[in-house]
Amino acid sequence: MTPLLKVQNVGKVYGNGANVFTALSNISFEVEKGEFVGVMGPSGAGKSTLLNVLATIDTPTTGDIVIGDSNLAHMKDAGLADFRRDNLGFIFQDYNLLDSLTVRENIVLPLAIAKVPAKEINTRVAHIAGLFGIGDLLDKYPYQISGGQKQRTASSRALVTEPQLIFADEPTGALDSKSATDLLERLSDLNKSQASTIMMVTHDAFAASFCQRILFIQDGQLSKEIHRGTQTRKQFFQEILQVLAGIGGEVNDVI
Amino acid sequence: MTLFSLAQKNIQQNLSNYFLYIASMVFSIVIYFTFVTLKYNDEISALTGTSQRVQGLMNASSIILLFFIVIFIAYSNSFFMKKRKKEVALYSLLGVRKQKIGLMLFFENLVIGLISLVLGIVIGFFMSKILLTVLVRLMGYEVVANFTFSGQAVLNTVVIFSILFLFTSLQGYRVIYQFKLIDLFHAEKQGEKMPRASIFAAMVGTILVGFGYYTSVTDMFTSSIWRFFTVLGTPLLVIGVTIFGTYLLFHSVSVFVLTALKKATAWSWRGLNLIGVSQLLYRIRGNAKSLSIIAILSATTITAGGGVFGIYYNAESSVRLATPNTFMWKGDTVNLPQKDVVYNEALNVKNLRVDSDFAFFEYTLLKESDYNHLAKLQGLERELHVVDGSAILLDVMYDERFSHDFTGEEFKLANNESFYVEKMYMESVLNFFPAGTVLVVNDQEFAKTTAEDLVMQVVGMKNDLKQQAVSKVIYDQLSPEQQESFSSVPQSYEDSMASVGSLLFVGSFLGLVFLAATGSIIYFKILTEAEEDQAKYAILNKIGVSGKQMVKTIAGQVAVIFGAPLLVGILHSAFALTALSQLFNMDITKPVIIWMLAYTAIYAIYYVFTVRSFYKIVKQGAK
Repeated sequence: MTPLLKVQNVGKVYGNGANVFTALSNISFEVEKGEFVGVMGPSGAGKSTLLNVLATIDTPTTGDIVIGDSNLAHMKDAGLADFRRDNLGFIFQDYNLLDSLTVRENIVLPLAIAKVPAKEINTRVAHIAGLFGIGDLLDKYPYQISGGQKQRTASSRALVTEPQLIFADEPTGALDSKSATDLLERLSDLNKSQASTIMMVTHDAFAASFCQRILFIQDGQLSKEIHRGTQTRKQFFQEILQVLAGIGGEVNDVI
Repeated sequence: MTLFSLAQKNIQQNLSNYFLYIASMVFSIVIYFTFVTLKYNDEISALTGTSQRVQGLMNASSIILLFFIVIFIAYSNSFFMKKRKKEVALYSLLGVRKQKIGLMLFFENLVIGLISLVLGIVIGFFMSKILLTVLVRLMGYEVVANFTFSGQAVLNTVVIFSILFLFTSLQGYRVIYQFKLIDLFHAEKQGEKMPRASIFAAMVGTILVGFGYYTSVTDMFTSSIWRFFTVLGTPLLVIGVTIFGTYLLFHSVSVFVLTALKKATAWSWRGLNLIGVSQLLYRIRGNAKSLSIIAILSATTITAGGGVFGIYYNAESSVRLATPNTFMWKGDTVNLPQKDVVYNEALNVKNLRVDSDFAFFEYTLLKESDYNHLAKLQGLERELHVVDGSAILLDVMYDERFSHDFTGEEFKLANNESFYVEKMYMESVLNFFPAGTVLVVNDQEFAKTTAEDLVMQVVGMKNDLKQQAVSKVIYDQLSPEQQESFSSVPQSYEDSMASVGSLLFVGSFLGLVFLAATGSIIYFKILTEAEEDQAKYAILNKIGVSGKQMVKTIAGQVAVIFGAPLLVGILHSAFALTALSQLFNMDITKPVIIWMLAYTAIYAIYYVFTVRSFYKIVKQGAK
């Protein structure tokens, strides 16, 4: 089976002349369809830069990113916007909901942009809202609901188009532990039941323990890769903590 | 580091942020200074000073102008302060006392004010020179505009704007003292409640605007509303009622329409329609207010400009209507230069005197053959053939509201003869002065009628508006008695230009200012919103909306904010101008339409600029 996402020798350099900063260098890996991959690393290691580059929000300085059979490194702005619309879903730490739209309209938005007929939009929104347990909140505005509910709305918006690949940037970063667990369980269920491919950046070992595979980044380079395999979530959590301790990550964050 | 240098550094480093603010200040000062300079200018006062009315008009205009400048500066200042709140909060968080921050903002305002004043006065000086040249031309004078730097104007401007700046500085103080730290950090309002459409407000608004419209189109001489509120009170009432009704309508109808659009998911869930409608709805409270202000501003500008331009435009045609011959006088012919002369005829006419109970009226009896001859010379199509015992009346001053229509009646003369009036036309072939109303009869009837015989000289020239010199040559050869009966197109035209011209001068200047103010208010308002919306468009960009789609939705939203008040303004002014044309009894449709098109065109330029700046701001946010 060909991988869904192929990253080859990706590098990202900021600034020019003598004043350059290398955020990413020589990163290569692959993600198969239906995988739930975590990206971890200390602050400033380049996690978010990597995600932004993969998500086409930023462009890499060198290297190739192939999703399906499109090479993103060679696409123009308008093409990239269309590509994002049709193939990618995003979940951000600060939700990025539009506060002038209701919960329902926020979820409708990507479908409306993709010109899906109104009838079909209704059934799809009802379905995804059911999966995330926000069916009762659809006519509320974002400022009327809690952080956890906002993040579930954002996740519904990311998933309603059934994208090939979902990017999550610290999705639990602003949530309390109960809401965080709830969201991660729903994501992991979706990953299993619908074979959605998810790539999640986090510095939280607990959140990372829901993944099947974790890539560690340090100083802009891929430093280690671990698989959950048949371990339970708790065992995997311990393994993550050990790796983080080994690379001098932020173990403190976990507690 | 002293506070002053901090303020100075602040301005230096945030120049781009300050640019818009300073630009709007300079703009206001330029406009005000230009107007004041013209007001104090000797040549202009020499031209207009003779008339008390024009002086009064100038004073009234400068008050209106000031009123606008206050609104405009308040607008840009609040826009500017909004941007600064976070910065102020940061100083406060770092432990700078409110008093000190206030002092710093005060210094800053002082520096900005000083820079704007100097720039404004310098630019204003050159502007007034250009404007004066243009406007003197418009008034039809041939004077060369040269004038000196007016100290009085500078003093006036400096005093007025110092007070304004003091006021805005105090406003800055107030912002700092009133807000708590937490508010300053969350300056952008969060989660405003969605407004609901009120049927009651919509109905009251419709009734108010309907009443205003109805009153303005009713005949002011017969309507009981006009009688009740008097000629002075009614316009004020109509204006007040219309302004309030406009606000209510914008408030309720816009919510109603937008909510309905949003609910029609077949349309709204298509592309970015949802975003456009929601954004407009989200801001509807603020929008309703500013949309009504803009609509009223536009209506005022279009009405004032249309009215003045209409009168100006009609000045020539009303002169021509009353004076179809370039020159005309009673008595003998005189020597005049033959260049440009089209015809020079002597007419034998009869002077009729008709007595009524209160007064007597003089009419001129004209032969049918003379009429047809003159009509041909003047390029009129109409040829008259009058039967025995009948006459055709030519009355240019006919007004259906006041004048008696003689058609179908016997027209009795002092000597008990009478003519049956077959028809009446509102164009004459003789100048109203000295001929008055003209009766055309056939040549036999003319010979039979006993009345005082008169000779009248009529001269037609090419390029008649420019024949001032010829006018003088003729005038000088006439006896004092004849001079009283002398009528001349160039002279009448110059006289009416002199009175209408000053009106046009004030009108066009204010029109220009209002137009600029209106456009700039919308521009500021929309750019403030664009700054607030940056994050929203960044989100949209992330979920896959291309730049092209964004431009489309932005253009749509901005079009509503520009278009709705423009349409309402045009509609309002159409009714106001109907009343005006009724009052002056003239047809100003054509000049008004020209003026409306011109206004719309300039407005459209503002629109294009606004959309472009909006997109630029949003795009910066997406990076």
